[in-house]
Amino acid sequence: MDGLYRSFGRPLTFGLFVTVALWLFGLILLPQLSMIQRAFQVEDRGGVSAQLSVEIEKLYVRQFEIDQQLRAIEQPAAAQPTAPSPFAPSVGGAPAAPSPNDPFAGLSAGKAPAADPVETEKKRQALIAERADVVARIGELEARESGPAAVDLRYSLENFTSMTAVHFQIFIATLFYALCVTVLAFLVCYPVAYAVAMAGTPDRAALLLLALVIPYAINELLRIFAWVMILERQGLINSVLDWLGIIDFAAGEGFRFVASNGAVFAVMVYAYVLFMVFPIYNTVETLDRNQIEAARDLGASTWRIHTRIVIPHAKPGIAVGAIMTFMLSAGSIAVPEIVGRGMHPDWFSQVIYRRFFEADSWNEGAAYSLSLLAACMVFILAVMAVFKVGIRDIAR
Amino acid sequence: MTDQTAAIPALAPLRKGRGTVDWGEVILNGYLLLFFAWMFLPLILMVLAAFNANPTPSATEWQGFTLEWFARLPQDERFMQGLAHSLIIAAGVIATAIPMGLAGALILSRMQSRANTFLYTLLVSPVLTPGIVLGATTMIFWRDLFGVQAGLFTTIMAQAAFIAAYCMLMFMARLQRQDRVLEEAALDLGASPFFAFRRVTLPFLMPTVLTAAFIAFLQSIENYNTTFFAIGGSWTLVTEIGSRMRFGLSPMINAIGVIFIAITVIVAVTHTLVIRKRK
Repeated sequence: MDGLYRSFGRPLTFGLFVTVALWLFGLILLPQLSMIQRAFQVEDRGGVSAQLSVEIEKLYVRQFEIDQQLRAIEQPAAAQPTAPSPFAPSVGGAPAAPSPNDPFAGLSAGKAPAADPVETEKKRQALIAERADVVARIGELEARESGPAAVDLRYSLENFTSMTAVHFQIFIATLFYALCVTVLAFLVCYPVAYAVAMAGTPDRAALLLLALVIPYAINELLRIFAWVMILERQGLINSVLDWLGIIDFAAGEGFRFVASNGAVFAVMVYAYVLFMVFPIYNTVETLDRNQIEAARDLGASTWRIHTRIVIPHAKPGIAVGAIMTFMLSAGSIAVPEIVGRGMHPDWFSQVIYRRFFEADSWNEGAAYSLSLLAACMVFILAVMAVFKVGIRDIAR
Repeated sequence: MTDQTAAIPALAPLRKGRGTVDWGEVILNGYLLLFFAWMFLPLILMVLAAFNANPTPSATEWQGFTLEWFARLPQDERFMQGLAHSLIIAAGVIATAIPMGLAGALILSRMQSRANTFLYTLLVSPVLTPGIVLGATTMIFWRDLFGVQAGLFTTIMAQAAFIAAYCMLMFMARLQRQDRVLEEAALDLGASPFFAFRRVTLPFLMPTVLTAAFIAFLQSIENYNTTFFAIGGSWTLVTEIGSRMRFGLSPMINAIGVIFIAITVIVAVTHTLVIRKRK
């Protein structure tokens, strides 16, 4: 604190804290909390609300009856005086004629010449009074119906436990695929990151790095689209799946399954592989090459050099790469939406989307999002534990 | 473990002899070649199809060279409107994320407190959160608390949450390299802390402000996952591209792709050249 005051003075320090507080609470914590709140909140519109709507329905019926009766009373009476009024302007342009836009003007004018004035008037007044009563009651009930009182709000785990078997299966499958993408991305990336980091000349290193940066910076959607073209038009899909078949879906799963999920899986590896390259490259680059030379001179095998020197040194980078790749693929909506075209089993992100925007069930959507977030957090903590790295090493 | 020890005598002599072919190197280079082919071939196919007169994007069924797909872009109102939305959002994100990231970095690099790591973890957490979760939380928060429907504003808020973290990390990296002597000198010579900040620290951070703004701009324009949830009924250029892709392929998307790729290549090459020159 003293350091801050000394550096920036009180007003500026205050301003900095306010800005950070806005960020922390306004953009991060409170949105998370409102999602968590919704995730555990069940809106039961069953009991109270149903009663209310029945009552309101009855009142509307009564209102309609009153209107009918009123019209029956007023019709013969109103017909006489109002009949000439439409012609009035054309005849004499009488300025006193009741405006046709004002129904009450017509009513008051029709009172005088009514056939049985006293009886009808009494009945009419009673009906008008009752109608006003009914309208007021409808307003009151409707306010209660849309207000919080009618909704039976409860906090429970229902949004999670009511997750259907299909959704739960998708959830697990998504996490499993994301894990596979992560492992595969590591296997593909590690040699690349190593080769680029150990490039002989600075020129070669710069060129290789450029060749990595360009696809990395090109929009995810476009890179997915490029693959959609290949998979759809060129018929390369078979060779691609052949190549993939070795790694993931071996025999027994059936061709159809591979054709759908395999495509999503392959494109996902392509789309997120570079998020693994850069963190690993960054750490391997800082490795002192003399260590490798020394190990080599002492007779270590290539395998041993990597498992004992390079990989331990690159641990923070591998951890970051794994976390990013897992998080991106588990939460990816672009790849399954665009490559899958609804023809492959859902990805969990799509289930979440549908909960929000198609099923209009925000509470369940929130619960599902929270599950995904929790899974990612568990993965991050597991990676941090396995690689023995801290949060400072991860986000750099 | 056992095959490792077996591999030592076989490989070691290869390494020792300078004159012999280094097979490890050859394999690694071949692998690199394959990797980059895998990275670039799909993109090259996409670029080719943008100039193909074939109305279904294809690089193999050639029906003649055309620029028609590019010419059609400015006439497409939803694309143009989406581009406008994207630019508005990007401007909003820059205006929000840069001050927040800067404030976070200044506090974290100067505050000596036990809460430091905790605060750091919280501020960095949006980077480690799936994009769709960020979008969903922001959407829920603004509707439930303020009745604000999902749209451009909520998208700015959702994107700024994690882009500010990237900005903060960049500012922290820069602040680590700062020589505090100048600032101390200014303070010792009687400058007010605010004056010292404005004349010493801020100018030092200025290049990073520009870089961070540029990165924030790119991140915002390119974002899909978070925007997809937070945008509601509106759309940006990228979400529009996404929804067109879902409903069928059009070479117009290839044309947009070519523009994106051209910009990316130009920026990346310029950046590399500038860095090399400085060295």
